[in-house]
Amino acid sequence: MRIIACFKAAPDDSDITVGADRTLDVSRAQPKIGSYDLNAIEAARQLADQVGGEVIGISLGGAALDNSKLRKDALSRGLDSLVAVAGDPDADSFQTATALAAAIGELGGCDLVLLGAGSSDRYAQQVGNQLGALLGLPTLNQVNQITPDGDGLRVLRLLENAEQVLGVTLPAVLSVTSGINTPRIAGMKDILAAGKKPVTDTVSALPPASSRTASVLAPEQVDRRHVLVEADPEDAARQLAQFLKTL
Amino acid sequence: MDFTLNDEQQLLVDNVRELMQRENWEAYFAECDRTHTYPERWVKALCDLGFDLIMLPEEHGGLNLGLVTLTAVYEELGRWGAPTYVLYQLPCFDTILREGTQEQIDKVLDYVGTGKQIWNSACTEPGAGSDVGSLQTTYTRRDGKIYLNGHKTFITSSAHVPFLVVMARSAEDPGCFTEFFLDMSLPGVRVEPLDKLGLRMDSCSDVYLENVELSESDIFGREGNGFSRGVKDFDFERFLVAASDYGVALSAFEDAARYANVRVQFGKPIGRFQLNQLKFAEMAIKVNAMKNMVYEAAWSYDTGEMTSAQAAMCKYYCVNAAFAVVDDAMQVMGGVSVAGDHRIQRIWRDLRVDRISGGTDEMMILTLAKGVLRQYAN
Repeated sequence: MRIIACFKAAPDDSDITVGADRTLDVSRAQPKIGSYDLNAIEAARQLADQVGGEVIGISLGGAALDNSKLRKDALSRGLDSLVAVAGDPDADSFQTATALAAAIGELGGCDLVLLGAGSSDRYAQQVGNQLGALLGLPTLNQVNQITPDGDGLRVLRLLENAEQVLGVTLPAVLSVTSGINTPRIAGMKDILAAGKKPVTDTVSALPPASSRTASVLAPEQVDRRHVLVEADPEDAARQLAQFLKTL
Repeated sequence: MDFTLNDEQQLLVDNVRELMQRENWEAYFAECDRTHTYPERWVKALCDLGFDLIMLPEEHGGLNLGLVTLTAVYEELGRWGAPTYVLYQLPCFDTILREGTQEQIDKVLDYVGTGKQIWNSACTEPGAGSDVGSLQTTYTRRDGKIYLNGHKTFITSSAHVPFLVVMARSAEDPGCFTEFFLDMSLPGVRVEPLDKLGLRMDSCSDVYLENVELSESDIFGREGNGFSRGVKDFDFERFLVAASDYGVALSAFEDAARYANVRVQFGKPIGRFQLNQLKFAEMAIKVNAMKNMVYEAAWSYDTGEMTSAQAAMCKYYCVNAAFAVVDDAMQVMGGVSVAGDHRIQRIWRDLRVDRISGGTDEMMILTLAKGVLRQYAN
């Protein structure tokens, strides 16, 4: 089975600082594989190990994708090879989906495309669905379990108040939840092997942006009110509930 | 000299950090410390990342990445307050591979990746601490067998290791010191664990040897070479103690700095009081000096140039500087550091032991001074 795992190099959120005017400074943030994308890579690796096959990573990005450490990091976590698509690091969801679709087309197709729930910087959760539409393939999100089933897959989706089990024919595009697995931490042997795995650099012409970012600001901070509830547990719970209703 | 880590070293450090972030290991360490338990689950998790392969040569399945890489891992683990002192024997394959028979090597390498304690050496006795040469444990040959008799004390890890390298002197020729690769399950071996102030996640025991029957194949290294072998490998252990202590000092330093920025007294963060600022300046100098010293020594080791004097200097300086840093950090943190369950208490206790174990401060001074004077003898 040929599986594509998509990921985005996003700024490490632990290095992002918030200014007094709520603007975000990412200039000191090192690029890092999106935390939700790690679930897609892990799911792809587990499935390939189960049924046999290869896992190809694809990422669209700017200079961050040139970072050799980031490339080795991705390759050490279960990818067999990597396709790095040079493009606008601020590409919107549709531009990203278009670039990924083109890269998959250049690879000659695949059996399955896996994506995370969303990127760890914007978390728009759109790329998977748009990529599926562009490729004209069965597309599902919220996938929390993937099981081989004959020539296809059986997937479990987590819905608001229910679990949905569906049979999926391949090829398909699936966006997985952050709870589908615990991504592996690469060991030293995997890290050393990563530098020897093949990487293909390509460039994608992006369509015009379909959206415009007006601003990106940190949430407004609210001062603590220091409200103390001193009462027996029953009365305290009642007072707390009343207080919460006033918010 | 450039200590910039390459991609692979940085990724290993990043992944160690990720491991430490994934769960509340501090609660596990606190419980292990309280119950005097070896933190095997944590060590196994490190071995899964390849920790015990870092110093193991490639021909034995290792990665041979060098001591600078190991130091970077110790630094990161120390930053989390992790008990790196329980890891001292895992990178010490050099001794086994150099001195051991193939059978002994195979027995040790069988444990690679398991996270279990494998071996340690036993020199110290009730009457032979820093003066190793006065040890009284003897071996004697009888009917084609070798019999060990004696009493070792303060033997680290001995409650759980399957093998112990025991130094003894010949009963017939007291000047002949020889080491033996001892299977701890043999009849006549009795272990009595000791309670101690710190380093509680690694056992420390009295080991009694009563007519323990061995064969010639159990000799470790060459007969008569035990003393020089044992002393030679002290250097590596002393370096590891220094690297470990630098790491945990970093943890206490960072804890105190974060605390001083948020703890408000008299209307302002306590970090803005000049008496505390003096402490932070002095702590920062010590932390930086320790860092430079251990990385330089690791680099020297990797290039085959680490001397006994350098290892002694590292241990002496880092143990004392780390203890001073942690003590200052406790002073900054006040009641929180002594009355609650903050990890700094554990680290403070551990560091106090390190001024004695693995070679006392006083022995480090003598070794260092001899090395310095020898350098200028001509």
